[in-house]
Amino acid sequence: MKDELFTMMGDMPAMSPELLARMREEATRNLLRMKHFGEMVMNPKEPKVGPTPRQEIFRTNKSRLWRYESRRTVRTPLLFVPNLGISRPYIFDLMPKGSFVEHMTQQGFDFYLVDWGVFGEEDNGLTVEDAVTKILPRLARKALESSGASEMSVLGYCMGAPLSASFVATHPEFPLKNYIDMAGPIDFAHVGLFGKWLAPGVFDVDKYVDTLGSIPAEMVKMGFKLLKPTMDVSTNLNLWWNLWNPDYVSGFNALNKWANEYLPFPGEFFRQWVRDFYQQNKLIKGELVMAGRRVDLREIRCPVLAVGAKEDNIAPPACVKPLIDVVSTRDKEYIELPGGHISLIAGRGASVHCWPKVASWLAARS
Amino acid sequence: MADNTSQELLDMWKRQVEEGTQAWLRMMKQAPAPTAAPNIGMDPQAFWRPFMDQGMAAWSKVMTQGTAPSPDLMAQWKQFLDQWIAAWSRVLEQAMGTDTFAQLMGKQLEGFLNVSAPIKKAAEQQIDASLAGLGIPSRGQVTALARHVAQVEEKIDALEDKVDRVLRRLDAGAVPRTERA
Repeated sequence: MKDELFTMMGDMPAMSPELLARMREEATRNLLRMKHFGEMVMNPKEPKVGPTPRQEIFRTNKSRLWRYESRRTVRTPLLFVPNLGISRPYIFDLMPKGSFVEHMTQQGFDFYLVDWGVFGEEDNGLTVEDAVTKILPRLARKALESSGASEMSVLGYCMGAPLSASFVATHPEFPLKNYIDMAGPIDFAHVGLFGKWLAPGVFDVDKYVDTLGSIPAEMVKMGFKLLKPTMDVSTNLNLWWNLWNPDYVSGFNALNKWANEYLPFPGEFFRQWVRDFYQQNKLIKGELVMAGRRVDLREIRCPVLAVGAKEDNIAPPACVKPLIDVVSTRDKEYIELPGGHISLIAGRGASVHCWPKVASWLAARS
Repeated sequence: MADNTSQELLDMWKRQVEEGTQAWLRMMKQAPAPTAAPNIGMDPQAFWRPFMDQGMAAWSKVMTQGTAPSPDLMAQWKQFLDQWIAAWSRVLEQAMGTDTFAQLMGKQLEGFLNVSAPIKKAAEQQIDASLAGLGIPSRGQVTALARHVAQVEEKIDALEDKVDRVLRRLDAGAVPRTERA
């Protein structure tokens, strides 16, 4: 039937061979689109995520430390600190050939991932201070012990950047070799729409936490969806356009699974996060105090790399870059890459623009 | 015949788009924009003009080439939709970035909390009473138990940290007598 269609098309007048070839290609793509759409609807496959082999090094309450071994051609291991709450960390190891973890281990880095876990109602008393002064130091020390290395590089992504920056700034005894901030807000005066929506006088965080206890995943999802209301439309349009391509479809399935799995925030964590960071911008001002220690970002004296994404609406470049101005090191660099918040860490753009840059910067200093 | 019909249809559509664009621009020029949207401060012409111009340019190309609809039209249509979505995204982003929107959202949330708080409390009390009647632990009791377990785990971890510190200092031969005891 396909051949008959093309034969008929061939009989039509005023059709150049090029046009005919393009029509043939488009018809084939449409058939594939229909086939893949049918599969997605009738027989949806659960995407396999987190393909890189790993082992659990340590567990405390809900949080775990994972090790991804490498050939270890780079001497200094890397501790990766992502966001707490919001989303699951398998985005960093999404799929083969589309995984930041896989890329870094292939480059010879021993990779340690902090997995904060999914906190429940019983953890509503957990604060940012607990995460920075209790959980993170413990996981970092376990990573160091496990690696047998004398020094360790730390990479904070998204919220993981202010958390890890607060940790390294208040723990000078931790043998920090390099520090990287990837799309992590530091100066919350320039944090974009979330800054406006969570501003004092607009958002009553105390009432919110006192009423709800924790911040449910659905609320978190709503906040992020509102940040880019047209995202779902453009995502589905792009899916339809690329539906003929099985690689695109498998990537879409994995990313879509992640993008719809939101995590709740422990109540007290959210209270301190919004009040101290978004509303009072204490981190960059040097006014943040954790476990009796002032968080002074000038205490970061190792080489520092800050990576911003041009179209990031969660942590716009203007709130990432100021880290470079406050740290006490001459070996510091800020780079701004194309794309948005997620495209720094997942997707084809990340594997081309971001990961090689981060790996080469680190390798040269490890 | 078929070519002429499709050409006529496309010409008609082109005229409609042109007229629609002109009408839109005339309306925008006449509209007192600053008073109509004082807090938003967006310029619809600035958003729509490049998008419409690009769309028109793409269609003009098709018309001047005189070709029948081809697969390239699909790509142009996709580009058209991408630009349309991007334009809307910019408009919405501007609108949502205003103080007015933030205040409105804050009030909506507060209203939601004002309504949901008493309902939530009443429902919890009702469920707790029912579960107590059946001799089943309530959600709050289970949560409290889990919290105690987490606290015990935290204490064990803290003790382990202290032991590790002492052992490291012992290894380094620098532990003071009081800590040894």
